Amino acid sequence: MNAITRIAREEWRLWMRSKIVIVAALIVAVLLIVTSVLTADRITAEQSQRLDQQIAAEKTFFSQPDRHPHRMVHYGHYAFRPPPPLAMFEPGVDAVTGQSIFLEGHRQNTAMFADNKAAADLGGFSALTPANLYQLLLPLLLIVLGNALFLRERESGTLAVMLAQGQTGVKLALGKAVALLMVIAIFMTPLIAIAIYSVNLGESMLAASALVAGYSVYLCIWGAIALAASIIIKQRAVSLGFLIFAWLFTAMIVPRFAINTSSAVIYAPGKIESDLIMLAEQRKLGDGHNAADPAFQQLQAQVLEQYGVEKIEDLPINWRGVVASNSEAELTQLLNRYSEERMTLEAKQSHMFDLFGLGSPSIAISSLSRTLAGTDLATHHRFLRESEALRFDFVQSLNKVHVERLSYADDINRNVDAASSMRARVNSDAWQVLDAFRFAPDSPQQRLGNAGLSLTILAIWLFMVGGVILLAAKRVKL
Amino acid sequence: MFRHMTREIRFLAKDRGALFWLLLAFTLSVIAVSFGVTEVREQRETIAALIKEDASDRANALKGQEEWGSAAYYAFHFTYAPPSDFAFAAMGQRDSSPWKHRIRMLALEGQIHEADTRNANFGLVGRFDFAFLIASVAPLLLILLLYDLRAAERTSRRHDLLVATAGYSLAIWFPRAFVRIAALTILLLLPLWSAALIEGTSLTITLQASGIAMAALLIWWIIVEWVNRIDASPSILLTSLIGLWLALAIIVPAISKAVIETNNPVPDGGEILLLQRETVNGAWDLPKDATMKPFIAQHPELRDYAKIDGPWAWKWYYAFQQVGDQKVAPLAQQYRKARLERDRQADLAAFLSPTSFAERAFEKLAGTDTRAMIVYEDAVRGFHSELRAFYYPLMFPEAQYNPALLNNLPNYVPPS
Amino acid sequence: MAIPLEARSLSLLRAGNSVLDDVSFTINAGEIFALLGGNGAGKSSTLLTFLGFLEPSNGDVLVNGSSVRNDIAAARSAIAYLPESASLYGHMTAYENLSYFLDLAGKPANREDIDAALDKVALAEEARTRRLQSYSKGMRQKTAIALALLRETPILLLDEPTSGLDPVAIDEFHDLVKALANNGQTILMVTHDVYGACQIADRVGLLRGGKLVGSFSAENGERIDTETVHAAFAERETA
Repeated sequence: MNAITRIAREEWRLWMRSKIVIVAALIVAVLLIVTSVLTADRITAEQSQRLDQQIAAEKTFFSQPDRHPHRMVHYGHYAFRPPPPLAMFEPGVDAVTGQSIFLEGHRQNTAMFADNKAAADLGGFSALTPANLYQLLLPLLLIVLGNALFLRERESGTLAVMLAQGQTGVKLALGKAVALLMVIAIFMTPLIAIAIYSVNLGESMLAASALVAGYSVYLCIWGAIALAASIIIKQRAVSLGFLIFAWLFTAMIVPRFAINTSSAVIYAPGKIESDLIMLAEQRKLGDGHNAADPAFQQLQAQVLEQYGVEKIEDLPINWRGVVASNSEAELTQLLNRYSEERMTLEAKQSHMFDLFGLGSPSIAISSLSRTLAGTDLATHHRFLRESEALRFDFVQSLNKVHVERLSYADDINRNVDAASSMRARVNSDAWQVLDAFRFAPDSPQQRLGNAGLSLTILAIWLFMVGGVILLAAKRVKL
Repeated sequence: MFRHMTREIRFLAKDRGALFWLLLAFTLSVIAVSFGVTEVREQRETIAALIKEDASDRANALKGQEEWGSAAYYAFHFTYAPPSDFAFAAMGQRDSSPWKHRIRMLALEGQIHEADTRNANFGLVGRFDFAFLIASVAPLLLILLLYDLRAAERTSRRHDLLVATAGYSLAIWFPRAFVRIAALTILLLLPLWSAALIEGTSLTITLQASGIAMAALLIWWIIVEWVNRIDASPSILLTSLIGLWLALAIIVPAISKAVIETNNPVPDGGEILLLQRETVNGAWDLPKDATMKPFIAQHPELRDYAKIDGPWAWKWYYAFQQVGDQKVAPLAQQYRKARLERDRQADLAAFLSPTSFAERAFEKLAGTDTRAMIVYEDAVRGFHSELRAFYYPLMFPEAQYNPALLNNLPNYVPPS
Repeated sequence: MAIPLEARSLSLLRAGNSVLDDVSFTINAGEIFALLGGNGAGKSSTLLTFLGFLEPSNGDVLVNGSSVRNDIAAARSAIAYLPESASLYGHMTAYENLSYFLDLAGKPANREDIDAALDKVALAEEARTRRLQSYSKGMRQKTAIALALLRETPILLLDEPTSGLDPVAIDEFHDLVKALANNGQTILMVTHDVYGACQIADRVGLLRGGKLVGSFSAENGERIDTETVHAAFAERETA
């Protein structure tokens, strides 16, 4: 044990004397801290802004004047997705998807005004976030520190001296690993600070610590890769070149390659495309605005029979409302079928993308961190589903008001003159049907469960690279 | 000079390390270009299919209509921006801005901001296209090819012998570096040229693109050359070069982006939408005049037909759709202007980073830059006003509905 | 005819330290001059100054009568340089190495010329198509000498040419160098091997702390007396 700490301490002394190491570490540290502070600031501001917007949207809805209930269906409502606390570490897909959605009758809108669309375009990289830095920059720092860990002893001939003194290669490797682990521990502090802050803001301990654990494993993988290269490769420049290549490959090439491949293999049609197909089907359902549409004849017969009357005018309820409510239900079923299909395809693409993590720990860690932070595609999909449920709910509640609180006679005569149009309104207290909508991320247990695949992949990586180190260290000769 | 080159070509042919990087560059280029070509084909197929389906859907929707108003309500029109013949090299903004919409004569602001969704992960990670390869990856490959040109010879104590034999140091280092860079450039560009031939890219664009690629690599060569003069070990040189690459390819663009965006706020998209919806929906409860007055201000020629009797008329419905657009026009203009201004400043900031510069230059050539996407939006706006110009003279005087006239509906022509 | 190599009050400062201090000597055509000295005496620096890699801080070095600093390339083209533990490219064969370096010197050679040179340095024929990484140190040295021969320059600079060679190889090497000198080539060799220097050199200069502190010449066809030089070397070392 003593020998190991001795070796680790020696490594540290060397680093502290190297200008390039100090400069690199300082730059990374400063970038990390500045980015963390800025991102945390922006996300907390967005969080409260979104919540305010949600509350304001509800207030405006409630304060609408007396109206025809169907007008409120078109007036619509908004759903907002506030960023979860851990988004200040990993903003995830938020910038790409947009975080607000307009809800109205007969339509499923997409989330709108993604930041990316209006972003200043300066090349292939998205904005710096703490997560990005951890995923891209810290591996590079570990490479700079670690590429010659073992090699140096070989180059300077001290390896021979140590082995002759009875040290084993494994012990030496362990000492180097301890030195690198200390670096990792130091550079984990900004993430730990963010995690603690997020817990203060209401994030669960479980998710926050899982995130910290995940990144520790990720950085250990990179430390291990660097150590392994320094044991196996005999020349310093070759080892560094190899590690840079490994970084380039896993951090920049494989993820993009994975994106292209998964979108090529699993074709997910765009919304316009699937909407067109859907529209044809929708025509068969009939237009809910037009109660005379022949598509509703069967429904008419059924309702007339249920109430035992001959004509729709004799119904105790508003026939137009019945049609609106019925066609909304059928249409929603259709819309949901298509949107579910699209989301399933996207989820399949994402799953395939995640599997590419076997070829790149960067993919695994980025998936893991989005999932744990609650800023992943699955969470966005859930937001779409929940806001759709909210939409259907308030539209149908308004249709119920339409059926029960507005007489058919008033309704069909609403366009005759000003007075009749006044009669075709219901009291604004009816708008209270809207439920409060507060989008929350999945439970921490659930998120942890979703991150299972990525976590397993990371564990496999660490296990394999660790194995390589052990094997190589055991065989160390001069 | 020729003698030096042939000598170094033969030397390079035996350098397995260098050959590995070169082969990698070629493979990556082939992959990037074929991904691009496939994607562009797919987009073209999608557009072709949508044009067809759109026409039949519209025909279907117009069947049995009895009023101009309902015809305009149910008939959607497909608009699109086709990928250029060079888009395969740089998909650029086509991945984050919509390039196809189906619109109808309702308020345009409620339609034009819709995004045709793609898997959000894609926008997040980004695409592996040629522009990315040449702007971000190629510099790294160049660094890996050149960083130990001198330092490796120093470490193996060959440096002085080489220079003493060659007479002067330029006679060895220049041809050696030049041959590597020329090989890298050619291997990167070969797939691009083949794809340009297949896709029918014009010669000027291909030449311009090749020029940009060469200029980008040249800049990185100068940077590497400058660092390589330092008498340090190869690993220190490589570390410094990677640091420079990080700074120029990632950090400077990210900082410029953040600064530009903070200095040029765009109006919150939600605001545009909210105002638009409020105006359109509020109009139902307003006296008809409140809608028709601002409408007539825009369309004085329809003054005589602007009297609305009774609580409902199609022309009133479309008038308040348009007034909704008019009301948010300043905000929408501001949004458009801010995007353009951000883009203009990004043009300047790109001079700070060869990576940004190359990528933006490629997007411009490919017509996938912000400006091209705004040109498309303008085309959609133009087409939407053509629709209005078609229907208004029929709808407002309440002309007899005549389906035959619908054959003269304006045709969307994509911007070129 | 101009004097092939000449140092005139050569002084050299590196990082503020005096490496060479007022060193003067001339070497005539066909002469073998050995610069003898301990570690850090400034031997290799002297060679590098003649090659133009180091610039004299005072005094001057001349090759064929003209100052090196005036035309470095001209000086280099007159000189074949054999660095200490010369390392050619390990991933190339002897043929490939020689052909590359000769191209570099602007003096391309064909296979026959190369074979002739390799015969002269006695590099086994089967080895010539093998990569240098499989060579012994002696074989590598032989290849490097072959390069120096093939350059056919009037001047030869040798940096510790025999260090690490076995005695037989050293003898072969000495014979070769003598033959070259007899052919009219001017040879400056730096070494810390007293015996070797006295074996082949026409003159030996003793370098100590950057100063030329002694000079010994072979006279009357006799070799320089090893004992005398060794005594001088050791005395200075311990003094």
